[in-house]
Amino acid sequence: MNDRKDREVRTDRLGMPVQAENYTASRPPGWQGQLGGCGIASCISLKGGRIDGDRIARMLTIMEERENGLGAGYACYGLFPERRDQYCLQFFFDDEEGKQAVEDFLDGRLDILHDEKVFLRERSTISPPYPLVWRYFANVPHAREWRGTRDLGEEDYLVELVQHINERVPKAFCVSSGKDMAVFKGNGYSYEIADLYDLGRYSGTMWLSHSRFPTNSPAWWAGAHPLSLLDWGVCHNGEITSYGVNRKLVEMNGYKCTVLTDTEVVTYLWDLLVRRNGLPTEVAAFVMAPSTFQEISLLPPAERRLAEWLRITYKEAFLNGPFSIIVGRSQPDISLIALADRKKLRPMIAGLSPNEEVAYCASEESAIRIVEPDARTWAPGAGNPFIAVAGKGIVRRGTEPSFQGVSL
Amino acid sequence: MKDVCKPKGHAHECDCGKECLKVEGDRAVIDLSLSPAQPMHYTTLNCVMRKAMRRGCSSIELKGVMGQRYLASTASAPDLYIAVHGTPGNDLGAFLNGPTIEVFGNAQDMTGNTMNSGRIIVHGNAWDVTGLAARGGQILVKGDTGYRVGIHMKEFGGSRPTMVIGGTAKDYLGEYMAGGTILVLGLGGGAPVGRSLGAGMHGGRIFVRGTVGLEQLGPGAAIVPLSPDDEKEVRGLLGEFENAFGAEVPGEMSEYVKVAPSSSRPFSGYYDKTNV
Amino acid sequence: MSETPPTKRLDHRLPERFLPIVNYDLCRVCRRCVNDCSYQALEFRESKVVASGGCVACGRCIAICPANCIEIRPVPPQFAPHGNWSERSRRSILAQASSGGVLLSSCGADDEHPAIFDDLLLDAAQVTNPSIDPLREPVETVTYLGRRPGRLEVCDGKVMVREDDTPLIRMDMPLMFGHISLGSISYNAQQALFMAAKELNIVAGSGEGGLHPDFYQYADHICSEVASGRFGIKPEYLKEVAAVEIKIGQGAKPGHGGHLPGEKVTTMISETRMIPRGTDALSPYPHHDIYSIEDLAQLISVLKESTEYRLPVGVKIAAVHNVGAIASGIVRAGADFLTVDGFKGGTGAAPRVIRDHAGLPVEVAIAAVDRRLTQEGLRNRVTVCAGGGIRSSADMIKALALGADVVMVSTSAMVAMGCRVCQQCHRGLCSWGIATQRDDLTSRLDPNVAAARIVRLFRAWNEELKEVLGAMGIDAVESLVGNRDRLRYRGPNPKIAEVMNVKHIGEGWG
Ligand code: SF4
Ligand code: SF4
Repeated sequence: MNDRKDREVRTDRLGMPVQAENYTASRPPGWQGQLGGCGIASCISLKGGRIDGDRIARMLTIMEERENGLGAGYACYGLFPERRDQYCLQFFFDDEEGKQAVEDFLDGRLDILHDEKVFLRERSTISPPYPLVWRYFANVPHAREWRGTRDLGEEDYLVELVQHINERVPKAFCVSSGKDMAVFKGNGYSYEIADLYDLGRYSGTMWLSHSRFPTNSPAWWAGAHPLSLLDWGVCHNGEITSYGVNRKLVEMNGYKCTVLTDTEVVTYLWDLLVRRNGLPTEVAAFVMAPSTFQEISLLPPAERRLAEWLRITYKEAFLNGPFSIIVGRSQPDISLIALADRKKLRPMIAGLSPNEEVAYCASEESAIRIVEPDARTWAPGAGNPFIAVAGKGIVRRGTEPSFQGVSL
Repeated sequence: MKDVCKPKGHAHECDCGKECLKVEGDRAVIDLSLSPAQPMHYTTLNCVMRKAMRRGCSSIELKGVMGQRYLASTASAPDLYIAVHGTPGNDLGAFLNGPTIEVFGNAQDMTGNTMNSGRIIVHGNAWDVTGLAARGGQILVKGDTGYRVGIHMKEFGGSRPTMVIGGTAKDYLGEYMAGGTILVLGLGGGAPVGRSLGAGMHGGRIFVRGTVGLEQLGPGAAIVPLSPDDEKEVRGLLGEFENAFGAEVPGEMSEYVKVAPSSSRPFSGYYDKTNV
Repeated sequence: MSETPPTKRLDHRLPERFLPIVNYDLCRVCRRCVNDCSYQALEFRESKVVASGGCVACGRCIAICPANCIEIRPVPPQFAPHGNWSERSRRSILAQASSGGVLLSSCGADDEHPAIFDDLLLDAAQVTNPSIDPLREPVETVTYLGRRPGRLEVCDGKVMVREDDTPLIRMDMPLMFGHISLGSISYNAQQALFMAAKELNIVAGSGEGGLHPDFYQYADHICSEVASGRFGIKPEYLKEVAAVEIKIGQGAKPGHGGHLPGEKVTTMISETRMIPRGTDALSPYPHHDIYSIEDLAQLISVLKESTEYRLPVGVKIAAVHNVGAIASGIVRAGADFLTVDGFKGGTGAAPRVIRDHAGLPVEVAIAAVDRRLTQEGLRNRVTVCAGGGIRSSADMIKALALGADVVMVSTSAMVAMGCRVCQQCHRGLCSWGIATQRDDLTSRLDPNVAAARIVRLFRAWNEELKEVLGAMGIDAVESLVGNRDRLRYRGPNPKIAEVMNVKHIGEGWG
């Protein structure tokens, strides 16, 4: 038979075959986590305006050299103005069975107000199976009991539910669970994922995005970035060499590692340090990317004491090795945090539009320039967070002293 | 020589410059906005540039550059002038061997990686790892640079790389430095240099306009007074900076600090060679 | 950097390790041994040649003694016996307490880790298929190094061949010489390697020290190395050679940089490396433009742009625990070939603590890389080279069967030239003129003779390879590569067999 078509083999930019095996919600058997590099990009409207999805897609896509088609994703914040105060749980399901199992589990545990299918467009370049993507808007009921503990905080309760589903409920994975935000990710190049979800149909106050260059397949949709828990969304470039240590800390605090990547642990660390322990953002950033003891010894006494005790107390939260991360949250305000490791071994450029309405952070300057040709750009420092908050503007450029503005 | 102009292994093939390359006399203009593929892929752009070089062009003007990497890598014609409008991508002028590249905008990371000779003039900022392992030529940056700039620059014989940074540089400037000169002017305020300055340097010299604290020095680096020869060199570099950017730089030599290796063998005595 | 080492050494004298014994009945008192001993371990005193301490068992005196009257004796244990506190552990502590320094050594890890190669047995053909006589029937060992297309496109019934897309090097045997830089070895030694590579029609690594102008005549058989020190990288170093390899790591010192001490940076070395004479030549631990896999992709791409896609661009890594995933990433980053250097690989100088304690045996690494690349559908795109402690043709054959396309050898080539693996390379006093820059010593090595010896050795290995292939009923080496079915494991730890995907002895076809 002459016209027999060869089975379509997905190839990457260099024509290398990409493993056909493709997992959506369920974790691939034998999954040991994934190493790799990537590109990250983000933007935030400082006045609380809206930015449409095409813009972030253009930012990410220009850094095509940083990805190899094995995962990309976006997170949008300020996405559901009408449902701003409800939790949005967005799921990947392998099939209807997974959906049913989750709905059965949530029944009586959350007040589901509305649910809908998330638009997904078939793409010839992304091989099936595709997950069924579904979102639920929910309130947390007043009576909250989980495994015998009553009156858990709303958020702690939700964390328990989400982690239970991700760990125990087959064929289902909750990819985001925060208020006023959702995550769109999958297995493909940045532009494929943007097209798959038709990002142009969404607009929001803030976007995070990430494209992956893992060193190994299989491809797991749920394992792509951003990784998210509650309203935290994290995109991460680099490899945390202290993963085993950091993981111990989050596990001791009840987090369950299901994705088995360093980024997952980073997400939990933000939740632990900022939401649960109440550390100010810049202090949490210091914990993750602390100064050397020699530098600390040169600080004024009050700051030195704080810095030393942060290092002593949170030594398991120190993220060692090269990284640059972009972190988003919607509570209490939509905010963007960008942080590079303490030696700044991974690239990170910040930018501001000439009218000072939109701020950007990305791995490469070109990602900013392609959407904002006249942006003012600068490089946040090593271990020095850039923080922008919708409605407040740029709170920190990432060039200030470590504890500027922190009450001592 | 084989015609190897065809870009390979990716989906952005085009007919190499048919649309976007215009040559008049020995001047070439490459307008990326005319390329059928948007944004133009770097393999295509480099290929078009090589085509222009092969035709013996003495100047190439690139318009609308947006993140394309590896521009002019290993380009070797000493009289070639390349003007880049836009934002060139990483590794601009890697292994450069003669030409002059002038960037009207900011450059990204690893500009002038392992360059041999030639000049790279950036009318903006040039971020991390600029001038890595350069062993000749000159890099002039009007604005700021990032981390680990001028790592392992080295000199030999007549080849001696020089770099002038108009703004600031961050940590690990001149780490492993084995030769050449870096001058940081700190124009526009802010600390001119960061921490671990000249860590493990065993050759070369770093001049900083402004103050350098001892705690900023990396192991193996020391602050030493400027000699008359040093002052001459700084003045010469200031002149080149002023020529390139038309900017006035304060030339009061008492404002300059020199950082030099404390020894050419920073780690001698570090190892024990006993036959155990 | 640690504290400044104490200026005054607080020495405790250590017992000698070797003792040269001269048989005075036969000695003609020609004093050649005294003159040739670069370690000054022999002296002429009271009309006799006597030992003066510091013998390293380099064997030079034995080889040149016209009366054949010198013998080197290992000194028996000089410390009270102890099952845990070995002689070496005590010597190390005593030495470091004197110097405060980091213990340095050379060659490969010398602790008695048993080689897994020795636990593998080869298969042979009996009855069900015939063995082949390689002397009379063709048994092929031609090997290509570089990227392969994976499939050929068919357009309107015509099979399309696109040579330009996949530059390959054709070699006569599945062998390459590892990267040994000029600086770590002498001009004569490197020339011998290049001459032999040319004669054997294989590839030799340049090492990271640049390429001496005289050696461009062998460029067609040289793979130039781009290491973190970026020494001597000029356009011709990238463009005129057969292949370019990015060195990420070395098996003897994974994660460590390089350090050529200033006393070895002679005028010639300084010219080739393009650094001033007498300064230390330091190679940073990482490449400062590679902190991540996409940065590696970037360096691969810029080298491909620079060489206009005419040369294979490879990446060499030390075998480490995650080697499979790393290899897969390297291939996805665009490398045309990949070299894995095992735990026992050689070095001109490495901290002992890393040399002896970090990395992965090459046997396991090859199997892991081969398996992972196969799982990912990448194995037929890339050439896998592997080495690190290959001592014999048997090791080479087993490495091929475990999954290497090309086996990298370095120490064995040096031994062919005269090296006795005395592990003193880092001192720069090599009495054989190999790992030294001292003119009086390097002149002892005649590159023509050394090259001829290397050629003979590896021709013989290649014949032995053919003998084994023939015995297995295989008439082309590509049918051996990754053919783990033709290996069995007979060692103490079946788990090793399992991770290498090699059957245990006694296990048959099924
Ligand atoms: S030549 Fe070598 S073996 Fe002979 S005494 Fe000297 S060091 Fe020992
Ligand atoms: S090269 Fe020379 S110094 Fe090094 S091990 Fe061989 S004989 Fe000894």
